[in-house]
Amino acid sequence: MKRFATIVTLAALVLLAVFLLYPLALVLDASIRIDGTGGLTLGNYAAIVKSRYYLGSIGNSLLAAALATVFACAIGIPLAFCLARIDVPGRALLLTLASLPLVLPSFVSAYALVLLFGHAGVVTTALRGIGIPIGSIYGLPGIVIVFTLTLYPYVVMPVLAGFQAVDASMEEAARNLGGSRPYVIRTVLLPIVMPAILAGGLLVFIEALENFGVPAVLAEDRPFLAIDIFKLFAGESDANPAAAGALSVLLIACTALTLLVQRHYLGKRRFSTSARSAPAKLPLTPGLRLAATTVSWGIVIVSLLPFAAVLMVSVLRFRGPVLTWELGLSNYATLLSGSYRPLLNTLTLASIAAVATMLIGAPIGYVVARHRSRLSGLLDFIGMVPFAVSGTILAIGLIIAFNSGPLVLTGGWLILVIAYVVRKLPFAIRSSSAIVHQLDPSLEEASINLGVSPTTTFATLTVPLMASGLVGGLVLVWITAASELSATIVLYASGWVTTTVVMYHAIEGTGAGLAAAAAAVLILVTAIPLLLINRRLNRQQTTVI
Amino acid sequence: MTSIRIKNLTRTFDTVRAVDDISLDIKHGELFTLLGPSGCGKTTLLRMIAGFADVESGSISFDARRIDGLPAHRRDIGMVFQNYAIFPNHTVAGNVAYGLKARNVPAAEIKSRVDKALERVRLAGYGPRSPHQLSGGQLQRVAIARALVIEPAVLLFDEPLSNLDAQLRTEMRIEIRQLQQALGLTAIYVTHDQEEALAISDRIAVLRQGKVEQVDTPERIYRTPQTAFVAEFLGSTNMVPGIAGAFDGRNTHVAAAGTEFAVRGEIAPPGAPVLLSLRPEALRLGDGSDGPRIQAHLTLREFLGPMQRLHATLPDGTQIRISALGAQAFDVLPGASLALAYDPAQIKAFPSP
Ligand SMILES: Nc1ncnc2c1ncn2[C@@H]1O[C@H](COP(=O)(O)OP(=O)(O)O)[C@@H](O)[C@H]1O
Ligand SMILES: [Mg+2]
Repeated sequence: MKRFATIVTLAALVLLAVFLLYPLALVLDASIRIDGTGGLTLGNYAAIVKSRYYLGSIGNSLLAAALATVFACAIGIPLAFCLARIDVPGRALLLTLASLPLVLPSFVSAYALVLLFGHAGVVTTALRGIGIPIGSIYGLPGIVIVFTLTLYPYVVMPVLAGFQAVDASMEEAARNLGGSRPYVIRTVLLPIVMPAILAGGLLVFIEALENFGVPAVLAEDRPFLAIDIFKLFAGESDANPAAAGALSVLLIACTALTLLVQRHYLGKRRFSTSARSAPAKLPLTPGLRLAATTVSWGIVIVSLLPFAAVLMVSVLRFRGPVLTWELGLSNYATLLSGSYRPLLNTLTLASIAAVATMLIGAPIGYVVARHRSRLSGLLDFIGMVPFAVSGTILAIGLIIAFNSGPLVLTGGWLILVIAYVVRKLPFAIRSSSAIVHQLDPSLEEASINLGVSPTTTFATLTVPLMASGLVGGLVLVWITAASELSATIVLYASGWVTTTVVMYHAIEGTGAGLAAAAAAVLILVTAIPLLLINRRLNRQQTTVI
Repeated sequence: MTSIRIKNLTRTFDTVRAVDDISLDIKHGELFTLLGPSGCGKTTLLRMIAGFADVESGSISFDARRIDGLPAHRRDIGMVFQNYAIFPNHTVAGNVAYGLKARNVPAAEIKSRVDKALERVRLAGYGPRSPHQLSGGQLQRVAIARALVIEPAVLLFDEPLSNLDAQLRTEMRIEIRQLQQALGLTAIYVTHDQEEALAISDRIAVLRQGKVEQVDTPERIYRTPQTAFVAEFLGSTNMVPGIAGAFDGRNTHVAAAGTEFAVRGEIAPPGAPVLLSLRPEALRLGDGSDGPRIQAHLTLREFLGPMQRLHATLPDGTQIRISALGAQAFDVLPGASLALAYDPAQIKAFPSP
């Protein structure tokens, strides 16, 4: 048993060292080298600090992430409260729908905003037609709106669990002792829920800071960190890997620091609904209840509307960049006329990545949950590192690492799969160890006691027992890999263009109809498996965050 | 047929010595019980034998063969877990066949051995069922069949009955005992229930804080406890502190609870503080026999059917319990004074801690 754990741990550590730490070290290394000569320097950082443009870029990214965090809390906390304490009609469905924005591709939501409110957007044109000009959604406003609408579930999930974890008797006791309701909320409810809010909010901050797709669609020419890193590394004209490295290191420093703070608050409280009696639903007047219902459903519907809009627009004809009101499948025809390859690539790569991630993640999650040791603690820690590394940066590291030398991977499909696996590994580890925690350890001991070796026991008993939970994880990894943009856009090679890449280029160019069709395909590809497993998913998501 | 020799076994968790230098010799065919309060290290000792807990120092041998270096799956031990640990994804028959398959027993033989094992635990015909269709007692029988069917060298039980209700517990312990004797297996049985231990064991080791207090047959453990802890843990004895007095050549006189007790033998030098263990059944209601007596006042009478338990106070107010037969003619009301006769040989004295 020990040996099995040690083998898994060591194998996982080697894997993470080669495909995560080594590439990151190379990014760090690039940031302290003089471009060309290779001498050591801090000049790249100095150049950033001196550059108005890059300071602006850092400032914009931090500001967008901070605003998104505030707004996500502003809508996430009331929604969580309504879900926990108010008898909202359709609560179960609402809960499922509220988790959807997390797994649907956020840059599709951003693109919907462009379709509706962009320069040639449906709403913009219509309003302009009747003489009402609207402000530009490009840059900060649009980006913050999309971040808010796609990331708020990170706040809802833990805060909802927090509200439900308040034992009814605790609140009753406080009221019984003469506290007024606001007083009870301040003294009993908030202290319990506060760590949940911080944990969720900081996760929003990290995700917003790292995100590439949303600013890629909405930033236009305003500087944003994730975009600048990409352009500095992969840009045709102004490539500067050293500067890209320095910006990457700064970005990782921000996200890593935030992640540490986030883990700290998460560690303070396990957001499990361990309350013996969940707190009672609040007695509300019909008017207040209607208001709560409107707000809850309103938030969720508004956050999903962009996706619905994309689906609708995808079946309308475009004339050039201009949308007409004629129904037709011409966009899809354009999308598929070129080649089926991108769609096929997306499905293939996502499938390989999902299976590989779970195959690697499940044993690690098992060992982390079952065999606590210094080594597995280290693994648990390193396994969380991908959370703090954006896809673009990981991809850059992978390119530097595997462009030459003993292992050349660039230009093939494997490097894409590796990027997906590494990025989704923390999720696979978390969800597997959550499942293992629910398995009675004496089942495995019984099997070993009956003469089956620990390794075989894991494969023939533990894995089947974990299977139903692992399927949920597999589907979630599949979905996120299928809609991955930030690493893909750096790593793809000509034979391995994916649907997200097609969409990215269509947005960059003039293929509005093509982009809409690609976006719609992405929505369908992600939403269908999601709905198939949505019951399992609800459980998974709370365990993973 | 296997004998087990445990030598100087030790295991520490952080600062807790869960198993502290334990040595035991278990004879073949013996049902040997580890008895002690929760947290005394019973499970840890059992899991070290099974191979699930590391041996820090010491050794474990089956016959002349050391096994503490073997991995758990090669120790040829059958273990019955507290929570049954029945594989939910296998049928009853699948559970029982599990260990046979691991040993590459031919399919035809598996079938007949599984059927026989299920018959043994009175579950014939339950093979195709799914575990969730079974009751707790039936699951426990499946667990036993699963451990028996591999014909292990040694059988281990970790509180196997603690999840069952009282009625089923007494039935199952007899079944376990009969199976173990019929198959002639060496078994180690862990429990914190002294009645269970006394009922089925060949020998009992009483454990306390990772150490062995006493190893003996159930009768001797009960009748002649070597330490105050053993006396107190086995049966709800009355512990009364006192001061040893003069030895009259046969009994030592002990001043305790505002009265005087005669205790067989020279138990301590005069003036030494001692602890007396008065078993509830060692005190008899004045029955006309001669011998020493003490006076007490009845405070409460519990009628329990076959017997009754009397609660009484000794002259200084010390509370004691007395067992009397339920059928005993008894018309004394609470408050009445009782004359309690006893045999000095049945009172145990221990040095005061
Ligand atoms: N895995 C463990 N880690 C730390 N302490 C343990 C562990 N297992 C047992 N202990 C400690 O060792 C002591 C003995 O435990 P155990 O063998 O389970 O007792 P028992 O089975 O007699 O109730 C207890 O103090 C317990 O807290
Ligand atoms: Mg125990």
